[in-house]
Amino acid sequence: MSTETVSGPVRPAAATGTRSMGREALILLVFSAIVLSMPFWLPLLGGYEGLATKIMVWAIFAVGFDILLGFTGLLSFGHAAFFGGAAYVTGYVFRDHTSEIIVAFIASQLGVLVLAAAIGFLSLRRTGIYFSILTLAFAEMMFAAALAIFAPFTGGYDGLTMRTTPTLFGMPMQGLYVFYMGAIMLIFGFAVARMIKNSAFGLMLRSIKENPMRLQYTGVNVWAYKMAAFMISAHFAGVAGFLMVVYEPYVATKFLHWSTSGEVVIMSVIGGVGTLFGPIIGAGFLMYFENVVQAAIGEQWKLVLGLVFVLVVIFLPGGFVQLGAMIWRATGHKVRERRHNVPDMEPDTQRERNLG
Amino acid sequence: MADVQTPQPETGAPPPAGTLPTGEAILQVKGLNKRFGGLQAINNINLDVAKGSIHAIIGPNGAGKSTFLNCLIGLIEPDTGEILFEGKSIKGLKQHRIIQRGIARVFQTPQIFPGMSLTENVTIAALSKRDGEFRFNPVTPLNASNSATEEAQSVLAQVGLADQRDVEAEHLSRGDKRRLELAICIAAHAKLLLLDEPTAGMSRHDTNRTIDLLRLISEKGMTKIVIEHDMHVVFSLAQRVSVLAQGAVIADGTPEEVRGNPKVKEAYLGGAH
Ligand SMILES: Nc1ncnc2c1ncn2[C@@H]1O[C@H](COP(=O)(O)OP(=O)(O)OP(=O)(O)O)[C@@H](O)[C@H]1O
Ligand SMILES: [Mg+2]
Repeated sequence: MSTETVSGPVRPAAATGTRSMGREALILLVFSAIVLSMPFWLPLLGGYEGLATKIMVWAIFAVGFDILLGFTGLLSFGHAAFFGGAAYVTGYVFRDHTSEIIVAFIASQLGVLVLAAAIGFLSLRRTGIYFSILTLAFAEMMFAAALAIFAPFTGGYDGLTMRTTPTLFGMPMQGLYVFYMGAIMLIFGFAVARMIKNSAFGLMLRSIKENPMRLQYTGVNVWAYKMAAFMISAHFAGVAGFLMVVYEPYVATKFLHWSTSGEVVIMSVIGGVGTLFGPIIGAGFLMYFENVVQAAIGEQWKLVLGLVFVLVVIFLPGGFVQLGAMIWRATGHKVRERRHNVPDMEPDTQRERNLG
Repeated sequence: MADVQTPQPETGAPPPAGTLPTGEAILQVKGLNKRFGGLQAINNINLDVAKGSIHAIIGPNGAGKSTFLNCLIGLIEPDTGEILFEGKSIKGLKQHRIIQRGIARVFQTPQIFPGMSLTENVTIAALSKRDGEFRFNPVTPLNASNSATEEAQSVLAQVGLADQRDVEAEHLSRGDKRRLELAICIAAHAKLLLLDEPTAGMSRHDTNRTIDLLRLISEKGMTKIVIEHDMHVVFSLAQRVSVLAQGAVIADGTPEEVRGNPKVKEAYLGGAH
């Protein structure tokens, strides 16, 4: 026992810095290569070009969602509000104003900004399951409003239809152009998420997931950091919603439906919460399943998907990424163990009193 | 470096246990009251805590000791009264701001970040002065050359956890978790540390280790308020003891003075014990 001073050499700081920078660059490079070449390799697996674009949409959504769920430990069941909200704004701009996607992009992000500030402000007053329920309730309110009081603007049950082809400075955006726009957005979003993960800001977010009470008692404004994570993830969802409408100029009411929120949760869990790669793989898997596998096995696909989900949650709580780690370890490599829980507790008086 | 077992008196070292501290008060509590329904949990407490001292608070169960600490840290809002920390009122401040002023707290069950390495645990605290309010900078990576990381390493060395810095905190022994929690408080630049029964449920051996550790960090000039039931701890650490019963301070002085006080004996006999 007792307190000997430093043992072991301290790693030379600068060396670690450059090495991790190099590693980050390599990860980003490999990731970009896989994403950008998707239109070439996906058809080999039975996919089609449009599916690649859809995967971009959902992968962007899922990466942002991982900043909230995976890093910060907050489970939102209402991110359809931002996906759908941005989609409606985008559709509205295309239908009534201009086909220029930059205008639609800015308008939809402004919409998300306002929406996320309001919903985040109200939902983050609670933690844990109450937070989840509040986000769900707000998203459902938006869904109901889109169908009823806002129906003249949203087209009600029919959704928002338009005959526009989105353009970028007059150049029509279709097919592979949309895919590459989405791919660049995904790569950019992925890079931002990786940077957040490695930054002091990211450390704060991750410590919220670990023990928000300790963080609060260390003098950190936990609420502000939660709000930031919420807003960032909402913007990712908004970018995805925008891209969806550029890909297919039509806004379905389903975009606001709770099942859209649920889908991104499923992607995250299947892929591996908190890993960034995981939710992207999850998004790809789910899209592939919904399109290619469905075509192959027909209406049974939902049953099979449910089974996959159950099996993953029971046997692979770390998602597909955990499977990868297991294989990697089995082949003699060293892998750091991860924990898969999502704790979120309140610094609450009751508990403190019992401790005292 | 000083051996923990026999701390060398250094500059800034607290006076030995049992002598009343002199010097300016870091904390002044004036006329503090708190009611829970019909229960007067805190009854007109006036208390000064001298800078750099270890101040013990003892009293029977339900005396209001924990409630008192909770008032100091902003977890419970007192009904009336004034709490001055370094001469400035902390009333109405948000909790994290109170803590940023320099008050920290350890819990009966050590509160740490279980899934993170010790370095990360302490780095969070080292960042709290700069980033506590809010700071968004995703561009600068946090690596070993960062000043917060370097500070974390040196604090870990101070509490004797340097060789476990890459271990995940949840794998530590309970005693080491307590050390880590103290390291977090040190790195957060706490000037006043509140401890609610830090040795409750510990073996004598672990208790002695904790006493040594608390002495060690006192040498750095950190003031402490310790709630304790264990008189061994009180007598080996505290320069001053305040006795609480039914929310009021009924005696106050050196451990020796307090021990001989008939009112104190009565409070313990008539209380929940
Ligand atoms: N939040 C609260 N609401 C209502 N009553 C409370 C609350 N917190 C404490 N009390 C009551 O106030 C009194 C003082 O409690 P406190 O926890 O401060 O005592 P204590 O001195 O710490 O006791 P112990 O030695 O058992 O830890 C008790 O009667 C307790 O039941
Ligand atoms: Mg108590």
